[in-house]
Amino acid sequence: MLNKKWSIALAVVVIGTVLLSACAQPTPEVVTQEVTRIIEEEGEEVVVTEIVEVTPEPTEAPEEPVTLDWNLGGEPPQVDPALSTDTTSVLVDEQLFLGLTDFDDETSEVIPELATEWESNEEGTVWTFHMRDDVPWVQHDPATGETEVVTDEDGNPVMVNAHQVEYAVKRTLNPETGSDYAYVLYIIEGAQAYNSGEETDPETVGVTAVDDYTVEFTLRQPAGYFPGIASMWVARPVLQSVVEEWGARWIEPGFIVTNGPYVMNEWAHQDHMTFVKNPHYYDAENVQIERIEAIMVTEASTAMALYENNELDNAYPGPPLEDMDRIREDPELSEQLTIAPDLCTYYYGFTNNKPPFDDPLVRRAFSAAIDRVSLIENVTKGGQRPANTFAPEGIFGNVASDPEIAPWALDPEMGAEMAQEWLAEAGYPDGEGFPTITLMHNTSEGHRTIAEAIASMWNSTLGVDVEIQNQEWGVYLDTIEKTTPLAEMPHVWRLGWCADYADQNNWVHEVFNCEEGANRLRRNCVDETCSACEPSEFDELTAQAGQLTDQDQRRELYRQAEQILSEEEAAYAPIYYYTIVDLTKPWVDRTYQALAGEHWDKWTIDWEAKQAATQ
Amino acid sequence: MIQYIIRRILQFIPVLLAVTIFTFTLVRIIPGGPFDRIGDKTLPPEIRANLEAKYHMDEPIWQQYLRYLWNLLQFDLGPSLKFRTQTVNDIIGRSLPISAQLGVMSIALAVVMGIPMGILAALYRNTPIDYGATFTAIFLRSVPNIVLGPVMILVFALKLGWLPVARWQSPAHWVLPTVTLGTAYAAGIARLTRGSLLEVMGEDYIRTARAKGLREMIVVGRHALKNALIPVVTYLGPVLAAVVTGTFVVETIFGIPGLGRHFVESVGNRDYPLVMGTALVYALLLVSANLLVDITYAWLDPRIRYD
Repeated sequence: MLNKKWSIALAVVVIGTVLLSACAQPTPEVVTQEVTRIIEEEGEEVVVTEIVEVTPEPTEAPEEPVTLDWNLGGEPPQVDPALSTDTTSVLVDEQLFLGLTDFDDETSEVIPELATEWESNEEGTVWTFHMRDDVPWVQHDPATGETEVVTDEDGNPVMVNAHQVEYAVKRTLNPETGSDYAYVLYIIEGAQAYNSGEETDPETVGVTAVDDYTVEFTLRQPAGYFPGIASMWVARPVLQSVVEEWGARWIEPGFIVTNGPYVMNEWAHQDHMTFVKNPHYYDAENVQIERIEAIMVTEASTAMALYENNELDNAYPGPPLEDMDRIREDPELSEQLTIAPDLCTYYYGFTNNKPPFDDPLVRRAFSAAIDRVSLIENVTKGGQRPANTFAPEGIFGNVASDPEIAPWALDPEMGAEMAQEWLAEAGYPDGEGFPTITLMHNTSEGHRTIAEAIASMWNSTLGVDVEIQNQEWGVYLDTIEKTTPLAEMPHVWRLGWCADYADQNNWVHEVFNCEEGANRLRRNCVDETCSACEPSEFDELTAQAGQLTDQDQRRELYRQAEQILSEEEAAYAPIYYYTIVDLTKPWVDRTYQALAGEHWDKWTIDWEAKQAATQ
Repeated sequence: MIQYIIRRILQFIPVLLAVTIFTFTLVRIIPGGPFDRIGDKTLPPEIRANLEAKYHMDEPIWQQYLRYLWNLLQFDLGPSLKFRTQTVNDIIGRSLPISAQLGVMSIALAVVMGIPMGILAALYRNTPIDYGATFTAIFLRSVPNIVLGPVMILVFALKLGWLPVARWQSPAHWVLPTVTLGTAYAAGIARLTRGSLLEVMGEDYIRTARAKGLREMIVVGRHALKNALIPVVTYLGPVLAAVVTGTFVVETIFGIPGLGRHFVESVGNRDYPLVMGTALVYALLLVSANLLVDITYAWLDPRIRYD
């Protein structure tokens, strides 16, 4: 019996707590007040002071700040700008820390931020950035909700200056910082040597504050794309005194000192963050949204439910695939659906030195036999665009969707026809005598359905057999390293690439150049595991294009490089350019930033409309 | 009894030590490491070397293990390699209480629902009540959380508007995840209670009790149920340890900042210290829960003695 009693008691407690707390009514607050009165007592006037309880008249609630309810999609792992690597952390950084430059939301072009103008010497090896002098460092006190300008010993405001840029760059490159993304700064003279510990003197790094508001970078070779690098979070100024005082915890609310349009008010790890407008931001008068409640829900269907319940203004990480048809048919939701281009490309790599994929005809046949249009319509369904080149629109030097480059990738009928011809020409008419090939992807439902669709296209168009394999992400990336023995290497494997900065150097050069890039494709390798390579025309083109300062000339070289890579060599098969599929409430007037974090400060909310809908 | 408990607790030490050795070795055997890549990008060797030096992963493996043990003795589970500004102590310290709260509430709900359901089914064996209870139990057991959770959200939050959709903020937010997680266990408990009670009801001592003229209520409640609950308690021990340390699916669906997701994600991230930390917490809770089960046995069945 004891057991039963115990269970019942527990049940009552559990259910009772739940119900009670759920139904609890806010009781009117009772305030004690000291009251002094003069009363007449027995004909005499006496002063009496007594403490009474008063229930204050309900005052009108203070006006609610204009608030954006946003889903970050997860905990930002490393908000420290020197350590950030993922989109969530970068989004947070974008609100808190300004860069020398920024990217335009519409065109992805480099635009001024902390630097109002910049120039390079004729060779493009020395870049000078002239900075604005009206950006103060601020600290927000979550307890009081006040944001104060940081002052020095004499009480003067501390402004963002060139010395702090120099400090931040050297801090990122300091091997002890352990910054993953430090390598994007290797273009700076001495950066790689200092970061790898070959050189211990930070003064050898080519970054100097010429004066308080001018910073100069010396590069190890000309780089026309450097203004884009200057925007990156790893090069954003941070305040040395704060970083040194608090160590790893300096990015927590209360300690953190920032200079961006918003300040961090709260960070409940894994649950939510709150940002409030920085009143001292130099452009504060043009920031309408005053508060951001950013939650961290990872599951797409849950975010979708919160969105439909008006608890979120967006549905990041994007509506689940199975909801897409319903959204498209719904008159309201279809209006709120936006499909914006993203700066990412999904591709299949061919192992270029593994027979039969050592033959460009075979590779071209496999690339051409992919019906990208049908794949997007029936499998991926996110409005992606078929890819015929590597870099998508929005990347400097891209030739995406140019019908003169690999036109067969955009026209399924032409593609199928030419694919058959090329395979026959390579000695395998109708796939006769062609070995069974392996296609590998990392374990994921989405990649699996794509692989199955493409394997069946290859089977029906080319008459070849494909074996699909998958591996867990970490294991997979190890497998497709170029050091894996050729026998263990799949013939075909999937990967994606997203922009670090909007320039082809970050694309065709860093990914595919056989000498300076990752070259997982094993192009032009001298041996099976690619200990060295013999550069061909493509490799020379991308290396040269990186060093020129004449932008038109650079564009032309990248065009030729893409033509060789995607069509002539068909070293890989571009499949589609990613899109950002999201739902946004109609009261939010927003922009899209594919490269770095969203610019919440440039958005507006029709506050009355939002309040009307959510109350 | 006290001596027994102390002896058992001392036995935890070699068990936990074995767990550290196994997990330490296993996570390092899996190909891929914590500093291989950013997204799809492979990190240059210099960068990897810097990170390995920063986290002492350039030391010989035995030295790394001893360093880990030494820190562990001071209750320091090390830094997280994924959430680099946080320590494993921070992460477990803030997410375990949330998972534990959800877990305890779910198990409480499961017990409150499951035991009466099982008793009813056993007492009214082969009647519509039994069929109804058995059907409900099998049904609840068969619907996975990944289905039940979204359906609950759809019905009770979106359509009826009674409860919040997700997250872990107020008691109202606790209801759907607790029910989602608890019902499947309730079904398990109901099935076990029914079977075990039926078995016990056939024992001689029950016949004796009845022959004494005791009321059926007393026969079942005082004599049969206590013995019948032994298999239920055996089942509850490990379940409690598993549920208190968090459940990946329910926490993900309801956006609950618990420990469950770290069990899964830390392996994918090759976040070695966090993998070790979660494994140790789980192991500790499991051995403790088993001890608790053994103690409960003695109380449920006076014939069981440990001295």
